[in-house]
Amino acid sequence: MKLPKLDIFTLSLWLITAGLFLFFLFKDKKKTLNSTKIAKGMMGGLLGDLMGILFLIGLILTFIPPETIRTFLGKSNVFLATVISALAGSVTLIPAFIAFPLVGSLVKVGASIVPAVAFLTTLTMVGFVTFPLEKKELGLKFALWRNSLSFVFALIIAFIMGVIA
Amino acid sequence: MKIFEKVKKNKLLSAVILAYGILFATMPDKALAAVNNSMYYVFEMLMIMPVIFILTSLAEAWVPKEVIINSFGEKSGFKGNIFAFLLGSFSAGPIYAAFPVCRMLLKKGAGIANIVIVLSTWAVIKVPMLANEAKFLGPKFMAMRWVLTTISIFIMAYFIAKAVKKEDMPQELETDGQAVSVNQDYCIGCGVCVNICPKIFYMEGKKAVARKEAIAGPIAEKVSKAAEACPGKAINYTL
Repeated sequence: MKLPKLDIFTLSLWLITAGLFLFFLFKDKKKTLNSTKIAKGMMGGLLGDLMGILFLIGLILTFIPPETIRTFLGKSNVFLATVISALAGSVTLIPAFIAFPLVGSLVKVGASIVPAVAFLTTLTMVGFVTFPLEKKELGLKFALWRNSLSFVFALIIAFIMGVIA
Repeated sequence: MKIFEKVKKNKLLSAVILAYGILFATMPDKALAAVNNSMYYVFEMLMIMPVIFILTSLAEAWVPKEVIINSFGEKSGFKGNIFAFLLGSFSAGPIYAAFPVCRMLLKKGAGIANIVIVLSTWAVIKVPMLANEAKFLGPKFMAMRWVLTTISIFIMAYFIAKAVKKEDMPQELETDGQAVSVNQDYCIGCGVCVNICPKIFYMEGKKAVARKEAIAGPIAEKVSKAAEACPGKAINYTL
């Protein structure tokens, strides 16, 4: 079995985070430990979906050959793939937390980053499912403007990333 | 019955388990390969999850949100924009958890541009999530997307503030007249209210619910504490 290496980036994140945690623990033990309860609750709710996605990645990588991924999400028809990815990101409501490993696995086997960026950006910024809620709380005009501008900017960000990355 | 409920709660996981079950029965070598492929990502996730977990908790506890919230009104200018940006960046929870927070900000006099900034940064730019993104897509990818998104958010805020006026927004929302209620649209099921005040709050499935009881004395204090701690600002109460 191939296992991931502990890279310098992850290691430094660990060190910084551990340092911060110890610092705040020292400052106010009760407040800091209490806050972990909130985070635990928030993440506990995600665990099922998270495991589902991680094992779905294994299925995708095993059954969909990299050439297929490259054909559909690769460099050959980037524009169409990007628009479709942006639309898919707008209508799905999964936490970005879970989407990163999925998108990362596809990029690793050859998917272009342009549709990947478009998907990740609309996934969080454009909310088709949450549109009625946004409309109720902040008004139709605001919700329309914010969501459509976010969609357009997600595409712009994605294409710029494709040029400079 | 319990199993059925569990399946209903975790549709994706159940479907994936079912797929693996069929695979192991029909082509075990492929199934094993798929498990191996997944394990790589499971370990990557395990390597980053404690970091995200701790950063999220620290942000919840130590970022002085009250101070931030009170510091951007209509005429707060660029400083207000920065505060809005920080508030969104250090908050936890999905974008819809930000809607009630935005309403509260509007009531306190925040301008439309700042509302756009809070909502968008809340959605895309969250510090613990940046760590996760860098882990799976590389620090360079994360940094570039962060810069481009930040620029876009400020441009959008400018345009939307021109296009939408405060009169276009709904004024007052109706409450259902109960002493304490949890807005089911916004509860993220973290259970913090149940921890603080189990007398009133309990979990029903993935969401918290409030018992229909009159609140008084020490309980009222706990309810207001829970409402304050609620990351989704989903608890409404009248004393």
